Amino acid sequence: MRIDSLILRTAVRLVLPLTLLFAVYAAIKGHNGPGGGFIAGLITAVGLCTYRMAFGQRAFFRLLPTHPRWLVFAGLSIAAGVAVIPLLRGDPLLRSGSTTLHLGGEGLHLVSATAFDLGVLLVVVGVAIGMITRLGEELDP
Amino acid sequence: MVGVPEATDHNGAVISVAPTFVLVAIGAPVVAGLATLLMPRGRTALRVLLATCGPLASLLFLGAHLWRYGVASNEEGTTAIEWVPSVHLDLGFLVDGLATFFALLVAGVGVLIVLYARAYFGDDGPSLARFFPTLGFFTSSMLGVVLADHLLLTVLFWEATSVSSFFLIGWDREDETAVKQAMQAFVTTGLGGLSLLGGVLLLGDATDTWRWSELVAGAAGIGSGGTVVAAFILIFIGAASKSAQWPFHYWLPGAMLAPTPVSAFLHSATMVKAGVFLLGRLLPVFGLLSIWLPVVVAFGAVTMLLGAVLALRQHDLKLIFAYTTVSQLGLFTCMYGLGGAADGHGGVAIDWDLSQIASHALYKAPLFLVAGALAHRVGARRLPELFGLWRRRVPGARLLVVVLLAAGYALAGGPGTVNFVAKELFFGAVHHAAGSHPLLVVVAVMAVLTAMCNVAIAVRLTATVFGWRTGVDDEGIEPAIESHAHDRWGSLLWLPAAGLVALQYVGGLVPPLWNSAFRRIEVNANDVAFADGLPWLWEPFLHPGVPLAMSVAAIVLGVALGCSSRWRGEVADVHDRIYPASYRLVLRRGHRVFHMFQTGRLRNYLVLMFSMLLLSISWAAWIDPSMLRLPDGVAPFESLTGLLLGAVVCAAAIALPLVTERVVRVMVLGASGFAVVGLYLVYQAPDLALTQLMFEIISVILFLLVLRLLPRLDRRPRISPAPRLVFAALIGITIGWMTLLAGHAAEQRNGDAASLGEFFEEHSLEGSELTNGRGGEGRNIVNVILVDFRGFDTLGEITVLATAALGVWSMLPGRRRHEDDQGDASGQATPVVEVGS
Repeated sequence: MRIDSLILRTAVRLVLPLTLLFAVYAAIKGHNGPGGGFIAGLITAVGLCTYRMAFGQRAFFRLLPTHPRWLVFAGLSIAAGVAVIPLLRGDPLLRSGSTTLHLGGEGLHLVSATAFDLGVLLVVVGVAIGMITRLGEELDP
Repeated sequence: MVGVPEATDHNGAVISVAPTFVLVAIGAPVVAGLATLLMPRGRTALRVLLATCGPLASLLFLGAHLWRYGVASNEEGTTAIEWVPSVHLDLGFLVDGLATFFALLVAGVGVLIVLYARAYFGDDGPSLARFFPTLGFFTSSMLGVVLADHLLLTVLFWEATSVSSFFLIGWDREDETAVKQAMQAFVTTGLGGLSLLGGVLLLGDATDTWRWSELVAGAAGIGSGGTVVAAFILIFIGAASKSAQWPFHYWLPGAMLAPTPVSAFLHSATMVKAGVFLLGRLLPVFGLLSIWLPVVVAFGAVTMLLGAVLALRQHDLKLIFAYTTVSQLGLFTCMYGLGGAADGHGGVAIDWDLSQIASHALYKAPLFLVAGALAHRVGARRLPELFGLWRRRVPGARLLVVVLLAAGYALAGGPGTVNFVAKELFFGAVHHAAGSHPLLVVVAVMAVLTAMCNVAIAVRLTATVFGWRTGVDDEGIEPAIESHAHDRWGSLLWLPAAGLVALQYVGGLVPPLWNSAFRRIEVNANDVAFADGLPWLWEPFLHPGVPLAMSVAAIVLGVALGCSSRWRGEVADVHDRIYPASYRLVLRRGHRVFHMFQTGRLRNYLVLMFSMLLLSISWAAWIDPSMLRLPDGVAPFESLTGLLLGAVVCAAAIALPLVTERVVRVMVLGASGFAVVGLYLVYQAPDLALTQLMFEIISVILFLLVLRLLPRLDRRPRISPAPRLVFAALIGITIGWMTLLAGHAAEQRNGDAASLGEFFEEHSLEGSELTNGRGGEGRNIVNVILVDFRGFDTLGEITVLATAALGVWSMLPGRRRHEDDQGDASGQATPVVEVGS
């Protein structure tokens, strides 16, 4: 499924970085403001899908050098890791922890849930673009 | 009880090394077995050596444990590693006499079986490679069963023996019958294992003790309440199924399709003895129950006689020995059952039970081993084919026949063997117990008949191999003798058997040797006659009594029966039909029930699910009519925009079935979704709006992609019939109403927060007592719920997502799989055909 349109291609070229930037913002901001890993994942996926629609499958895989399943694998591993690590300390599954990083200026408050959120993000991106590209292949032989 | 050496201080927990020894002993066979997989192919000698190291290490470590710490009393358990204390499951061991004996038996026979397997499988490298790890797995599980102190640990290892024996019995994967029989054995013993689990759980719950040692220590206070009796019955079913007691005995002869090393190991020394072992464990715990004696003795006695009679009516050597094993297992069960009876002298009617069990292993394992060796050397395993084997010139056959007959003599319980004394012991126990329980006279008669059958089998065996007239020669078959290549491992075919059977005679002729080995581990020595152990050969004859008379009667009758022409032909066991019949029954009924629900129509499933939902909700509303009132704080006409958007959602939903074109449907569905986005915005939920927006975009893209792959829809517009419309409307209204209620559900249990919403508002950043002082440390409630409060749900959901994606990738075979991974690698990829959308 490819839409051959110069306007779309140009627009996507401009919009995609912004989309990804916004996704990063949403992911980081997620714990305290609107956003979160799931949303960020969906935003990323939408951005990448429009790119694929504008430029086609091959260009898309040049942009994303691995198969989406690796994203899913990495995401699920991170999430499961975050879930399991508290067990090693004798805490219940998924017990969240937090630490504050001082890099000068205001301390950066890090919550273990953020890592979990990153896992969610990767899985969502991997699944969404994986399915869409896979189904797209059926149409673009 | 034997005195415990000074090394132990009567508090097992203090010594930390001892349980580690046991742990190593249990683990060694499986580790060594798996290590053989790393050996290069073709290096069979190395492989065998390594596999031997496993059970040998177990033997050494058990020996070291015995030497260093002595035999514990059955009230002293030790713990190696705390595993799951919350469910009363630790790696704790109880190394009392019973456990030590069984562990040494398993490890010792295990070594011999490894060596024998080398000769049996010959140069069949792949078979050997597969065999040793499986055998190691089984040996370890079996050692675990006998050494475990925790009830659940016993169950765990018990199931492991079922699984590993399944692999061993169904060894020949190409042979459909073998696989079927393996299934039969697995299902039968597996169901018994479930029963054991149930019994153990009941017992642990009723007594609040989860260790055998503590159970034995507190046996007097266990009482005879209904739960305890139920626990006993369930555990007994488990033991009976494993030890092939009637009516579960059918699996054991069926399992004879296994290779002979497996049969010899599983069915003479180990797996089937697990049930007997369990009875030995249970005796001090349940022995005082009034139900113990009748139940255990009855099942044991029936099995004993049935097995003996069926053994007499077989022609295949392995089947003969299988049925005598069944019979002998019945005898053991009976023996432990008698342990619940007081004998005439005020003691309990059980003596030297471990010698009895050892004696069986020492002649039954050689019998199996020789049967396998004969099949290997002579190519014959059936009695008619073996007629006159002694006079045939088959290399190595005479040696095998000598071992076979030596073991057969022990099977018959002839004087000079341990088994003779073992039979005396059993007869004595029955005789004594009959003194206080007259009904046991029946068991005494059955015991004599069983012994008679055993003697008759030995007589027929002898007559057949020597080619005497009274042998089994009704077919006159001269089998084609396959001469197997004589490799240098060939002596291993008979050496293990000869070694084992020699012990029978050593113990029988020089009892002090046997006694010095067994005195430390035997717990039950109540009869004065056997207080010092097995007697010299002549002692029973110096003090003749009822047991000796029973022995003599059995031998005389047995010889007569063996020489007579009665009971010669082969018969099939009726019980063999139990399993196939129940299997078929389950399949047929299950099929019918399955098709009742699994119609293959999505509509039926939905109707079923939604009907249940409607029913349960109506029921709840009937009980609590306040569910039908509009909850407080709901202002339906608060926002006009919201109402309008809601109307759009409804309109889209109604339009959906009226539209015939799929693409239009997708767009209508999208419109409904985007209207919901607007609703979220109106009610100030930017997160949800953003999520929904992205989700709608992606799902519309996905839908459009999938639609192009679907066949065309017929264009006829369809309006559903009225009942369906009513049903659908009911579902919609109910679910909508429930959502409304859920959103405003007051938090009933704790008064602080008025509703769920308020609860999360309060706790998402900082915790309170309700959340054990822990908050989600975030201000975005939705996200904190997702990753913290309900983090486990999220983990599950992303797992489902990943699985769905895997499904798509695996079920839609890739057309351009190479390009998935190396999109820009090759220049010869098909050019992109541009398809307008």
